[in-house]
Amino acid sequence: MAENIVEFRHITKRFPGIIANDDVSLSIKEGEIFAVLGENGAGKSTLVSMLFGMYEPDGGEIYVRGKLEHINSPRYAGSLGIGMVHQHFRLVSNYTVAENIVLGLEPVRKIFGVIPSVDMKKANHDIAELSERYGLKVNPTDVIENLNVATRQRVEILKMLYREAEILIFDEPTAVLTPQEIASFIDIVRGLREQGKTIILITHKLNEIKAVADRCAIMNRGKLIDVLDVKTASTDDMARMMVGHDISFTTERKPARFGGVILDVKNLTVKNAAGLDAVKNVSFQIHAGEVFAVAGVSGNGQNELADSIAGLVKISGGTVTLNGHDITNATVREHITKGVAYIPEDRHNVGLVLDFTLRDNFPLRQYYTPKFSRKGVLSESEFETYGEKLEEAYDIRSGQGGATITRAMSGGNQQKAIIARELDMKTPLIIFMQPTRGLDAGAVMNIHRHIVDERDRGAAVLLISLDLDEILDCADTIAVIYNGSINKISPASEISTDEIGLYMMGVKTA
Amino acid sequence: MLDMIIIDGLSFSLPLFIMAIGGIYSEKSGITNLALEGFQGFGAFTGAFVTIYLYGIFGAESQVPYYAGFICAVIGGGIFALLHALLCVKFKADQVISGVVMNILAMALTSFLTKRINASFFGNDANKFMLSASARITVPGLCDIPIIGAAFRDIYPFEIMILVVAVVMWYVMYRTVYGMRLRACGDNPHSADAAGINVYSVRTIAVFISGCLSGIAGMSFAYSVSANFSPDIYLGYGYLSIAALIFGNWSILPALFACLMFGFARSMGAAAIHQLGLPSSYNDLVRTLPYVLTLLLLVFFGKSNRSPRALGQIYDKGQR
Repeated sequence: MAENIVEFRHITKRFPGIIANDDVSLSIKEGEIFAVLGENGAGKSTLVSMLFGMYEPDGGEIYVRGKLEHINSPRYAGSLGIGMVHQHFRLVSNYTVAENIVLGLEPVRKIFGVIPSVDMKKANHDIAELSERYGLKVNPTDVIENLNVATRQRVEILKMLYREAEILIFDEPTAVLTPQEIASFIDIVRGLREQGKTIILITHKLNEIKAVADRCAIMNRGKLIDVLDVKTASTDDMARMMVGHDISFTTERKPARFGGVILDVKNLTVKNAAGLDAVKNVSFQIHAGEVFAVAGVSGNGQNELADSIAGLVKISGGTVTLNGHDITNATVREHITKGVAYIPEDRHNVGLVLDFTLRDNFPLRQYYTPKFSRKGVLSESEFETYGEKLEEAYDIRSGQGGATITRAMSGGNQQKAIIARELDMKTPLIIFMQPTRGLDAGAVMNIHRHIVDERDRGAAVLLISLDLDEILDCADTIAVIYNGSINKISPASEISTDEIGLYMMGVKTA
Repeated sequence: MLDMIIIDGLSFSLPLFIMAIGGIYSEKSGITNLALEGFQGFGAFTGAFVTIYLYGIFGAESQVPYYAGFICAVIGGGIFALLHALLCVKFKADQVISGVVMNILAMALTSFLTKRINASFFGNDANKFMLSASARITVPGLCDIPIIGAAFRDIYPFEIMILVVAVVMWYVMYRTVYGMRLRACGDNPHSADAAGINVYSVRTIAVFISGCLSGIAGMSFAYSVSANFSPDIYLGYGYLSIAALIFGNWSILPALFACLMFGFARSMGAAAIHQLGLPSSYNDLVRTLPYVLTLLLLVFFGKSNRSPRALGQIYDKGQR
């Protein structure tokens, strides 16, 4: 039996208003792939962040290789051979791959034996070798900002390996990857284990755990529920423990009853920031009571499509008609009053004012109406009661209720707040852009429920997602976007997953 | 005529340049630096005080006070800049506000101290430190080249100092470990932190350097513009060097071109007024030329520039 390389003993960690970890004890064996499973806010990130020295526990002890350690900084964690890949990568965007990897441990040579200088030639050579050794393909001289997410992730992994880390922590590593990239990531992780590394995987995706992990700890609301052997545990059991009750993986729904046309998009063309056509001559209609889902690989014009219909970017050709009103290039305010709700992909920059409190974020689209302001003066009390109403109705949890600064909330609750704000307007059209990105199973189910409920209420729903499972779960009609054009529109029941995949890759065109 | 334009242009551009490098250090590390104006003034004050104090020991003809003055200007500017670093890095104050406060503080404090020091050390009630005229160097041979020879005539010693320091600073920024870490802190302090770099100390040192380099600039202006230190030194040259570093896209070499452009705009304007025989009050108009030029250039080129990504962001380790 392998030795315990890391041991958490009775770890407790509190944040204002929340106990993130409540007396958690668990041990991780050398050379295993250990998954920590839990919903957002379950405390799994907090737990491993303490192993990496980003927080210090309020109570309890951490043992590394049998020795009690007070890990007070990532630097010290590094010296213990612990490395971490954060969910949001920590890379310097205008540096090359090699510069990023050696940063902090730069090879130095002396010019004329005296003047110190960073030896980039050696760095590039070392990184190329490292990349070769572990089969992580990168080009040392590429600049980070030109690389895709999967490559950046490989850079992060190499960064740990360059520091000779033995314990590798991954925080939600697959949240931003495509299915193909996830498959290759899983291969990478297996390869690392074969090299003798210990891997800690924080995730809420059960199928990945099933595919790659040896053991799995399940956390719920700060408490450790159980540690399971993945081979013998069933996904249903794990899911139940994670959310604390049974969940089903498909959203139950009544057959759709389409009403009249709500959104009519004709020959829509939109340019991206670089001035190129990102959406090309796209036409479709969405009826009342219909979930119209757009599938596609990231970067095929989805952002521009959603933003243009929501009125955030300029439409360079074609028309958008809502309930018979032309809203092409109308102002955002007109979009709101005509009835467009938008759940944007970028929660932090578009969805919320992060430094506002929760209750100030709710009326962002309505604050000017008589309900919330009289003669230009905002009604504090109305903000408060409205906030309480939405927190209650949408089960939004936060440290200090309506007075919580939204920046301090977990991703899942931030998204719930946006959804509450948008859905409460009861608009005829709702646009969901990547609504469940980075969220856990419980939150995903909850959002899918909302999508279907809105449809049943008679709203037209435009759902744009990179997650095919999500689209299959919710859609009445599936459209596939490739390179800015809609390749295929089909009733959901009449198209197979494989077929969608072929359209997504542009192999098949209608 | 042409000689004057080149000589005056260079003696104005180069101090601006070294101050812009200081600004680049600070801003590349992620700390907005509007305080260059105050740094150069405080540096010049320290340097000028030490210089005239040493006149009393070594005599006004000696070269010792001149160089000791520059060294003390560097130290004075640097120490004053540490206050900005303290506010911005340690106490996480708003960097723009801190910068403006530094400028006001420098202006008020140095005016006050100049009068007090004059009263108690030198027994007069002037509000300025009178410096003796700086030596000028002419490089034999090179100065005889037609037109550009002027660049080697009547050079202030500080111009050579500045060029040497500038080369060293360029090397430190782009070739050393510290420079690499500094630039990383300005783009993504979280990644620097994760790489085991102490973001706070990198930034503090960067701001200190910007104060030191501004001190050189302030002392140079004290010699070249007025041959004294007085509150007149706060003419906005610090802001001008900020404009130069922005045009220069936060890079050292392009910033040099921006500074040269400002310097020659100024000296050409002065020459034109002299040539046209306009009254000396028009000189004030000439002084606005670099600023007018700044406005015009900002309109045309401002958009294409990219500031360091984390510029002005307060870095707090604990923040998610």
